[in-house]
Amino acid sequence: MFTPTLTLAIAWIACAAGSIVALALAILPAARRLPAPLLGWMLAIAPATAFVALAAQLPRLFAGEVLTWRVEWLPALGVSFGLYLDGLSALFGLIVTGIGGLVLIYAGYYFAPTHHHTPVHASIANPQSPNPESQIQNPKSNDARFFVYTLLFMTSMLGVVLAGDAITLFVFWEGTSVTSFLLIAYKTKDEEARKGAFKALFITGGGGIALLAGLLIVSAISGGADWATIFRSGAALRDSPWYPVMLGLIAFGAFTKSAQAPFHFWLPTAMSAPTPASAYLHSATMVKAGVYILARMHPALGNTDLWFWLLVITGAATMVMGAIIGLRQVDLKAVLAYSTISQLGVLVMLIGEEATAAFKALVIGVLAHALYKGALFMIVGVVDHATGTRDLRRLGRIWRAMPLTFAVCSVAALSMAGLPPLFGFLAKEALLAAEIEAVLPAIMRVILPAATVLTGAFILAQAGTLALDTFVTPAGAGFFKTVVDLPLTGEGRDDPEDVETIDRSKPAHAHIEQTLAAHDPPLAMLIGPAVLAALSVIITVFQPQMFTDLLAGAASAAYGAKVKVSLDLFHGINLPLILSAIAIVFGVGVFVLRSPIRSVNGLPALSMNRVYERALSAIDRLAALATRTQGGRIRVYLSVILVALFGMIALLGNLSQLFAGLPLARLGEHFVKDLLDPMALLRAFSLLLAVAAAFVSVMMRRDLLAIIALGASGLAVAVLIALEPSPDVALVQVVVDLLSTVILILALSHLPGAQLSRAEALNHTDRAAAARNALLAFIGGAIVTVMCLYAFASRPRESVVTPYYEQNAKPLTGAADIVGAIVVDFRGFDTLIEITVFSMAGIGVFTLLRKALTRREAQRALPNGESPARQGLDAFRASPFTHALTYAALPLAFVLASVQMIHGHDEPGDGFTAGVTLSLAVGFWYVIFGYEVAKQRLRALRPGLLIGLGLLTVIAGSIAPAFLGGTFFSPFDFGAALGLPLPAGFYLSTSFLFELAICLAVLGAALFIIDTLGHPEGELE
Amino acid sequence: MEILRAFAIGALFGIGLYQLLRRNVIRVAIGLVILSNAVNLFLLSVGAYDGIVEAYAKAVGQRSDALPQALILTAIVISMGGFSFMLALLYVIAVRYRTGDSDEVRGLSH
Repeated sequence: MFTPTLTLAIAWIACAAGSIVALALAILPAARRLPAPLLGWMLAIAPATAFVALAAQLPRLFAGEVLTWRVEWLPALGVSFGLYLDGLSALFGLIVTGIGGLVLIYAGYYFAPTHHHTPVHASIANPQSPNPESQIQNPKSNDARFFVYTLLFMTSMLGVVLAGDAITLFVFWEGTSVTSFLLIAYKTKDEEARKGAFKALFITGGGGIALLAGLLIVSAISGGADWATIFRSGAALRDSPWYPVMLGLIAFGAFTKSAQAPFHFWLPTAMSAPTPASAYLHSATMVKAGVYILARMHPALGNTDLWFWLLVITGAATMVMGAIIGLRQVDLKAVLAYSTISQLGVLVMLIGEEATAAFKALVIGVLAHALYKGALFMIVGVVDHATGTRDLRRLGRIWRAMPLTFAVCSVAALSMAGLPPLFGFLAKEALLAAEIEAVLPAIMRVILPAATVLTGAFILAQAGTLALDTFVTPAGAGFFKTVVDLPLTGEGRDDPEDVETIDRSKPAHAHIEQTLAAHDPPLAMLIGPAVLAALSVIITVFQPQMFTDLLAGAASAAYGAKVKVSLDLFHGINLPLILSAIAIVFGVGVFVLRSPIRSVNGLPALSMNRVYERALSAIDRLAALATRTQGGRIRVYLSVILVALFGMIALLGNLSQLFAGLPLARLGEHFVKDLLDPMALLRAFSLLLAVAAAFVSVMMRRDLLAIIALGASGLAVAVLIALEPSPDVALVQVVVDLLSTVILILALSHLPGAQLSRAEALNHTDRAAAARNALLAFIGGAIVTVMCLYAFASRPRESVVTPYYEQNAKPLTGAADIVGAIVVDFRGFDTLIEITVFSMAGIGVFTLLRKALTRREAQRALPNGESPARQGLDAFRASPFTHALTYAALPLAFVLASVQMIHGHDEPGDGFTAGVTLSLAVGFWYVIFGYEVAKQRLRALRPGLLIGLGLLTVIAGSIAPAFLGGTFFSPFDFGAALGLPLPAGFYLSTSFLFELAICLAVLGAALFIIDTLGHPEGELE
Repeated sequence: MEILRAFAIGALFGIGLYQLLRRNVIRVAIGLVILSNAVNLFLLSVGAYDGIVEAYAKAVGQRSDALPQALILTAIVISMGGFSFMLALLYVIAVRYRTGDSDEVRGLSH
């Protein structure tokens, strides 16, 4: 029915769909009442579907096919979303979906609130137990989010192992880090859990970035990101000078993810995740992602000395360390975490060894570990549930109460111990066989088997501890001190890598009571561990052909050539078997002597946790140092920006050439010629006036005088514009300059007087600062002068655009005023946006001062009962003559504005000028009559309404022509079209409407500004 | 005349920068206006035609360049909008920090 490649996509889509369903169930109120076990069973459908979809493809894979599927993602960058299925992906994919399904079912019962009953003593003794049950006992806690995280993780993890190219792999890789973070910090109120989650994200996230960099280098050298291309260019990659860099980066990513020493320390603290998540993420799947990427890249990057030594040494060190530290742990999950680290070391070491036997051992090791460790984690969850503790010193003799659990645990532990006839035995045999391969350097053929025997012995002792100390021996049997004497802190636990998840404040006898009350969980909860444990037996005893083929396919894909895998346990008496026997004997010895071994306090003092914490605090200190450079002084920032800019100009611009090439001579000629022009003297005078007035604004001690000087400078600029000659712009400049001055004075009147005089005094006190600023200003001015000189000398003397406007203004728009035609017709849309911006500025001023500033804050501005500089504008006393003028100003302004609008397209003046003229008259009222009176008499002028009317008019006026035979914004004479009897020279056209709209909007915005800035102090709403 | 104009614009720009660098916020606002005047003057001066008459269709003779005029017409109005908004901000700052001295506005360092 489905093509094989489509089925591949379906496998991933099933998991993605599952996570969406889980999310929906977690959000929908109705679904939140679903019992957790039902939720688990329902959601297990997703991985089950994916499992079947993958398993269905196995025959094709065994025949040597590789399935790929891809869709374009960012075609411009050559990035696509690709899936890829070969033997290696299939092995990991089946583990991810298979164990995923079992974990979901198990988790349903783990989170079910019903089956656990707490003994009275324990709950009285410690009502605020930090044990996992505190989650479970609270029926209100919504554990649906566990399923959401887990399914999201599953989707990401399946994406990692099925990814068809480096980019897709990286995206999903990060997905696993994030979901892992969420699961580790699942108990959000537990600070240790949050810290552990951050630690895990910090380490694996850093590795992820390195991995991305490494993969990008690989892709760049290969010329493609998909696996086939990368495998083809293996020789080029290994010969590249970048080889150590890319291998280092990818190995760093893999080592952090797979908890290799010295980056292993995030994994034990990650055990704060709910046990189902630990079983799934931190044992069976996610931590193997690093192993997967190394195995995946082996055909391309492997077979070099660097590869061998890097992986073998790291892996072997991790293997031994994990095994030894693990035996010292007292928390069951910590024991499992360290034995996981040890096994991950084994796998990395095997990839490094690169013999066919090594890859055979690798795939067997991956599967065997996933089976027994998954089962053991789930068993620990069951024990934790039944007894309320995971402390080995407090557990014991519960096998009678929990016979089924004990049986499952025993099988899994035997596999972990590497005893025949279990799968784990085969894994160890294969491992030892790989280590005595002739291709290895001679010294490694001694060191590695010795290390492995040592590791095997300790892992066996750990397995014995897990099964026997938990279920059979009396509580505290493996420890020197009896449980009642246990100190509350310490006892050889000064190494912070030990997991502190055990509640030490709880009296020991409470646990013993609980231990007595223990019982087997519901059978369904044992399905997961039982299936996994059973597989550990079935695979070696019955040796199903399917598993042999699956493992052979995976090993071949990782090795890059055919690898044969046999599941036979017995190959005759050979060296591996003898070594294995030694390990078992030695291991039994370690188990028997576990108490004295545990009390030896000879661990190295260097703890990676301390290194990590120091590194973090160093980063914090560095950040504090960096923020110290932020003085918060705005003018310092501006100075730095200016100095940097000047420096850049000095460095990049060729200064000597720049000054030598100054077109002074040419401009000088012009200057002499211009002197004969009678207007030139006026121009020169205006320029001088503009500069001089601006300079006066610097020198004036009082702010008010400075503002008036500024106004004078602006008026001089207006004269220059008028001399251009450019009457329209000059008019606008005049009215805007006046209005700006008025607004500035209004604002000045609002600043408290004492502060102002203080600020004014500052202007002239700091001479050093003034000199510095003057220097900066001088350099800036000089740069602009040089720029102007060049610009003026080389400006084009023929315009391309202007003649078009000149010729078409009258015919196309009917306007004799070319500037006006450009503003309201040729660039009408621009102007529409412009008046919108201006209106927004007005509304913004209003909002800031009326809404953002509360009355309380306004009053706080006057600390010592100081009064503002002037009480609004009410205090101003005007003569009757001024009053009369003011009364006259408004109607006059109306007439002026109307004339400007009507004739704007033929004569000087336009909507802007009209609007600002009106605003000036209104501003005059505010100044002369005071806020209250002006507000009262001009209440018909509502700013918001004016702005709205203005913008609507222009929009309606520009849309209307589109329906009347023209286009959007095309000129149209409505008066002529309707046959209205209008006076000569007045056209009811789109231009007129536009001018009217501009006038309204500008008036509205200016009114907002005047109204809010003219508001008397202390009466803010 | 261009040579004089270039020096005037440079001087206006320098004065504007100096005002921007001062501690008194009112002077900073003044500096902003001076800067925009300098820039408008520059735009006006780079027009292609040295006009004798204004840019009207009916005018006879060398018209001034209409294009830069239209541009600075827009620029003048917009900069007034921006200027008003900046004043409002300064006002809010003065109230919040109880000062007209930009050095005492140091929210970044806290």
